[in-house]
Amino acid sequence: MNRYIGKVTIGEIISWILLAVVLLFCLLPIAFMLVASFMDAKQIMSMPFDWVPKKSFFTTDTRTFFTNFIKAIRGNNNNNMFFRNLFNSLFVAITCSVTTILLASLCGYGLAKFRFKGRNFVFMSIMATMMIPFEAIMIPLYMVASNFKMMNTYYGLIVPFLVSAFGVFQMRQYLITFPTEYLDASRVDGLNEFPIYWKIVLPNCTPVIATLGILSFRNQWDNLLWPLLVSQREEMKTIPLYISKFSEEKQTDEGALMACALLASIPMFILFFTLSKYFLGGAGVFESRKG
Amino acid sequence: MNKKSGSYSIERKQARWGLLFTIPCLVFFAVFSFYPIFNALITSFTNKQALSRTSKWIGLDNYIYIFTKENGGFSFWNSLRATIEFTLGTFIPMVVIALILAVFLMQLRSPKGAKFLQLVYYTPAVLSSVVAATIWMILFDPRGLINQMSNLLLHTTGRDFGWLVDNTMLQISTMIVYFWKYIGYFVILFITGLAAIPPPIYEAATVDGSSRWHTFWRITLPLLKPTAVLVSIMAMLQCLKTFSTQYMFAQNGAARQPIDVITMNIYFTGVRYGRLGRASAMSIILFIIMLLLTYLQFTVSKTDDVEY
Repeated sequence: MNRYIGKVTIGEIISWILLAVVLLFCLLPIAFMLVASFMDAKQIMSMPFDWVPKKSFFTTDTRTFFTNFIKAIRGNNNNNMFFRNLFNSLFVAITCSVTTILLASLCGYGLAKFRFKGRNFVFMSIMATMMIPFEAIMIPLYMVASNFKMMNTYYGLIVPFLVSAFGVFQMRQYLITFPTEYLDASRVDGLNEFPIYWKIVLPNCTPVIATLGILSFRNQWDNLLWPLLVSQREEMKTIPLYISKFSEEKQTDEGALMACALLASIPMFILFFTLSKYFLGGAGVFESRKG
Repeated sequence: MNKKSGSYSIERKQARWGLLFTIPCLVFFAVFSFYPIFNALITSFTNKQALSRTSKWIGLDNYIYIFTKENGGFSFWNSLRATIEFTLGTFIPMVVIALILAVFLMQLRSPKGAKFLQLVYYTPAVLSSVVAATIWMILFDPRGLINQMSNLLLHTTGRDFGWLVDNTMLQISTMIVYFWKYIGYFVILFITGLAAIPPPIYEAATVDGSSRWHTFWRITLPLLKPTAVLVSIMAMLQCLKTFSTQYMFAQNGAARQPIDVITMNIYFTGVRYGRLGRASAMSIILFIIMLLLTYLQFTVSKTDDVEY
């Protein structure tokens, strides 16, 4: 059944080809963004496309080399909001991941290790919220935000994402296997319940904390819809809004657009290449669903 | 005091701590999930608008409106069509190809190579959807790279495929962007599922003289069925919520009509045009669709558990 060419089967060759094609498909657009951010619009739209930027760091002066990046940072009408908006994005994403970790672990610990009346009810209610997509409740949330003066504030951007039901679920599943003897031993040692959570439980959840933190960080980093509703003022916008506006106004300046996209992706790339293990682990929904 | 009542008070104390730990989240979800969906339901029965303070109870009028009227050229039926076409056109190729890639990756002889490829396939998911849409819009330009490559592959010269102009092509373009962004994520989901199948099963099959192809059809696929169904429903749920790609395309000059997915219609109706009642009715319909799918996911994951 298995035919061989040399030492490999035909099946293997076919699988290599397919894997390589998808590899190219995944990488080409990213490579394009990289090189195009050093090109002018004319070169980007040249036929056939020339992958080597004409401007070189060594032959032209550095300012021409970085023209696109300078434009990207200056932004629309030179309003110089790039760094402000970058800060907003980082601030919102970091705050949301910290609160998600804290609240989800607290709740997950309570659900996993304590017996109390109504525990199942609490757990089922929280799980039920997973069925409510954000897109279906954004209009009421938008009304609440405008009634409570949360438009154009960090509160407005952050509060709806303080914790996620999925986070609570993951924490609970993880902590159910946590040895209860540890907790009892600490109780015998005279530790109170909150210090037990803070000093014993939390430091022992690092893998979940990492996956959950990254998940929540990138969800906020990627969030376009909600900031679109609550951030109208330039200085309260986040990076997705900045790019969206920039691309509307610089449609014909593709180089600057790609430079902007590249700059906006750097934080995520850094995170990805340092913590890739937890990125890939974040997809392990099934391990937890089964448990 | 006997021992029994002592343990009883410890239990009471425990119960109090348990409740105390869970209450913050419970309050949060009550305020930011249950209340809003309830509020959306109520609002969908009123003629509430963004700028007026008062609103009137109008019963099912909003629902009748969105299902019978044009809604200013962007009808809800059109949104349903756009969403369903996008969902089917994205999740089926995504699940099938992700499954094939995952199987191939698992059979690679070098685990390091497999790990590297997983990482590369996942890289597009790291970019935000806005960035993804921006890159692809330039690639889809009439003079862009995609047209050049398509011409090369099809042996045509200078043909413009109208990626952002032609209605069908525009839909396909949004599917490609989404596919590109999430393929790696789904490959990893499948690899997690495949890794859960214990190796002895494969070994037994090999000893019994089963070919690879045979092993795949008769062993891997049936054992993977629950995972595949779950991944499919997850992918569908995700596709139903798509917004960023379509929004970016429409904002940058592509026609809104063919890619006017439900979430985009909710956004435009509710936020741009301030018709909060109508937008709420659309939200409730979206919620019901997703609820049905989630219910399906729940029943499937319950009944279809495999024992290895």
